[in-house]
Amino acid sequence: MAAEVVMPKLGMAMKEGTVSTWNKKVGDSVSKGDMIASINSEKIEMEIEAPQDGVILDILVQEDVGVPPGTIICYVGKPNEQLTEQNSSANELQAPKNEVAAAVSLEEPPANAAPSKKRKETVLISPIARKIAESENLNVETIKGTGPKGRITKADVEKVLAERASEASPPSVERDNLAINKETLPVAGMRKVIAGRMHNSLLNSAQLTINMKADVTDLLSLQREIKDVIQQRHKVKISLTDFIARAVVLSLQEHKQMNSAYIDNEIHLYNHVHLGMAVALENGLVVPVIQHAEKMSLVELAAELKTRAANARQGQLSADRMQGSTFTITNLGAYGVEYFTPVLNPPETGILGVGATEDVPMYQGDELQKRNLLPLSLTFDHRVLDGAPAANFLGTIKQYLEQPILLLL
Amino acid sequence: MNNLVVIGGGPAGYVAAITAARQGKKVTLIEQKDLGGTCLNEGCMPTKSLLASAETYEKIKKAEQFGITLPLEQVKINWDGVQHHKTNIVKKLVQGIGYLMKKNSIKVMKGEASFLTNHRLAVRNENQVEEVEAEQFIIAAGSEPASLPFSPFDGKWIIHSGQAMSLPAIPSSLLIVGGGVIGCEFASIYSQMGTKVTIVEAAEQLLPGEDPDIAFTLREELEKKGVAIYTSSSLTEMQPEDKTALFKHKEELHELQSDYALISIGRKPRVLGLGLEKVGIHFSKQGIDVNEHMQTNIPNIYACGDVVGGIQLAHVAFHEGTVAALHACGKDKNVNYRAVPRCIYTHPEIASVGMTEKQARDAYGDIRVGEFSFTANGKAMIANESVGKVKVIVEPQFNEIIGLSIVGSHATELIGQGTIMLHGELTTDVMEDFIAAHPTLSEAIHEALLHSAGQAVHS
Repeated sequence: MAAEVVMPKLGMAMKEGTVSTWNKKVGDSVSKGDMIASINSEKIEMEIEAPQDGVILDILVQEDVGVPPGTIICYVGKPNEQLTEQNSSANELQAPKNEVAAAVSLEEPPANAAPSKKRKETVLISPIARKIAESENLNVETIKGTGPKGRITKADVEKVLAERASEASPPSVERDNLAINKETLPVAGMRKVIAGRMHNSLLNSAQLTINMKADVTDLLSLQREIKDVIQQRHKVKISLTDFIARAVVLSLQEHKQMNSAYIDNEIHLYNHVHLGMAVALENGLVVPVIQHAEKMSLVELAAELKTRAANARQGQLSADRMQGSTFTITNLGAYGVEYFTPVLNPPETGILGVGATEDVPMYQGDELQKRNLLPLSLTFDHRVLDGAPAANFLGTIKQYLEQPILLLL
Repeated sequence: MNNLVVIGGGPAGYVAAITAARQGKKVTLIEQKDLGGTCLNEGCMPTKSLLASAETYEKIKKAEQFGITLPLEQVKINWDGVQHHKTNIVKKLVQGIGYLMKKNSIKVMKGEASFLTNHRLAVRNENQVEEVEAEQFIIAAGSEPASLPFSPFDGKWIIHSGQAMSLPAIPSSLLIVGGGVIGCEFASIYSQMGTKVTIVEAAEQLLPGEDPDIAFTLREELEKKGVAIYTSSSLTEMQPEDKTALFKHKEELHELQSDYALISIGRKPRVLGLGLEKVGIHFSKQGIDVNEHMQTNIPNIYACGDVVGGIQLAHVAFHEGTVAALHACGKDKNVNYRAVPRCIYTHPEIASVGMTEKQARDAYGDIRVGEFSFTANGKAMIANESVGKVKVIVEPQFNEIIGLSIVGSHATELIGQGTIMLHGELTTDVMEDFIAAHPTLSEAIHEALLHSAGQAVHS
């Protein structure tokens, strides 16, 4: 019987895939395992293999046309085999096939998307194999099943785990030394919470980090100019971090998509900015939250940040002061770190990492000057927005920091 | 030239031949005796026929319990009739295999095969020798009963299982050396027919591969039928001239006289006489070495069934034969040894699949065990068959069902459920909501599963 070849789902977030190249044409003979097509989805590319010996009976999706996972892209069967009524009806849903390319658009999946998707989502896997895979956070769709009809068995999952373990294992000499010198620390309390949250963050979102440098020479001048006045008038010692926080708050109001959260397959956009600010403690890390930071002036924000940070270090932060942030800033500049990849604070869409300022010679027109550059690292959830809008957001922060007068308005 | 030659027409061989023929191979099967091998001619089928006769007799004797009055003094076993029933069944089944050979265009040759090269066999039939060439071979030569090193079978007093099922009359006494599956089945058959049976077993319990509590239930039932059982006992001497055996039990020497001494201490693969050494096929006393595709170290020669040792059961042989034939035809398939049911046709029956409780504890440490007794099962009570229980072994982390043992009526039929659970890699939470028909013996399995999760309803 003819075998259906479907567009695979290459990741949780994959909405569609494209046949980039057909290696075979209708009527070509294939052996099981032959590469019949290359497909890609966003940044993932893979080869599609023939599921059985036979010939390509029909090709339903043309090159460079995006279709949802589960869509039948071709049939492999015996030479001259007639597609069954069921096959044909699947064809009819897409037919005439030459028109599929024209009809399919990114926004509007083809009519057969629903049934095909349903079929593809039913991964053949034994109950115990599924449980073990889930407990080890393995994506079952990436596991090759060796049971009947490709059913994933316990042995298949255990094989993947064994391969993962062997890849992760250091060379035996190092392992031996570790065994002799190892010291075990319990993962408990704050460490346990951080471990769980950070691990889940990486597992359950599509994180991407982009970097940019802001020239903060003028900002540092401004800070020097006004810090004494502010200190005297408001009893607040204003820092570079306060300016950065203000720049972030203003930028978030201009880029609503970054001030959001991905919850249950929905994107929640916020009008308010509850700003999280990571504070390192002796044994861990907490993120106090400045609520409604968008309503605060630079000085008010600076005062609030100082209070919260002090409370955090003294262990006086109540739980409600650590919840509900819509965006977080984390600063490793004091440790000499330049760029890094901050991990999202779920369910937020973005987190800004701040590095150490650096003195560099830079041309200002024809004149070489000493300038202060501030490295910025923005990690964002690629499920919510793409690289370009994230870069625009980071660019806005950079603009604010490079034109600091705007931060005072 | 043949595409494929199969040596041996037992469960592994005939299934391999049919499978290969259906894949389009030109197949010849060589068998020195009757088609069907040990299973049909000297094993599974004839013993089950004798058991059916013995159990029918037992049931009739208990007819009064069901409100049926019979002249019990007139109810007797007609041994010739029992043998006729058995022979008739075997004959029909052997004919059935012959029909399947014809239907699948498989040429059947009678004779004893021996390799000359890795593509050529000599087939000896009486004084004639014929050479057969083939591209590929599947060796399915089976096994034969192992004998005592100090007293070989004489067919008169010291007999093997094949001889024990065709005795001229019901013996008045029978010594069974070896309390494994075969020994216990014959103990069950003959004790129900009135024979005074004695079992001498070297291990601490009957059926050493099964859980002690499961084996103990059978021991109790056999003892109720008058079977004398000596475990942790060793045979020291056999004296055929006066049909007397000496064995040691708890440092005490026992002397036993019996009509027959059935030696059931296991079966050994038939690896000699096949010319394996001529072709360089790796083998030992334990059997022919094969990989997961049942392929020997000589790539065009496969081996399957009892001749490779391992689990010597007909249903394993069926599957190994299929795997060997498919691989010879370019298909990939493995045998799932994890979910092989083990059936013991005693009264009560015993059947199990997967790990025993001890094996599970050794493998997993803490495990969960669910049990349900047939004494609380309506269908078992109605049939006056309430002896026994179901025991399920569950791995604690993911609730995987890793073993199921049943001792009781129709255990060998019920175990199919356990086989599906293990083969399907099911967990107890998947099974908790399944509906067992009521009233059935199957309910006991459901209750045992619920018990393992602390949710048993009827216990």
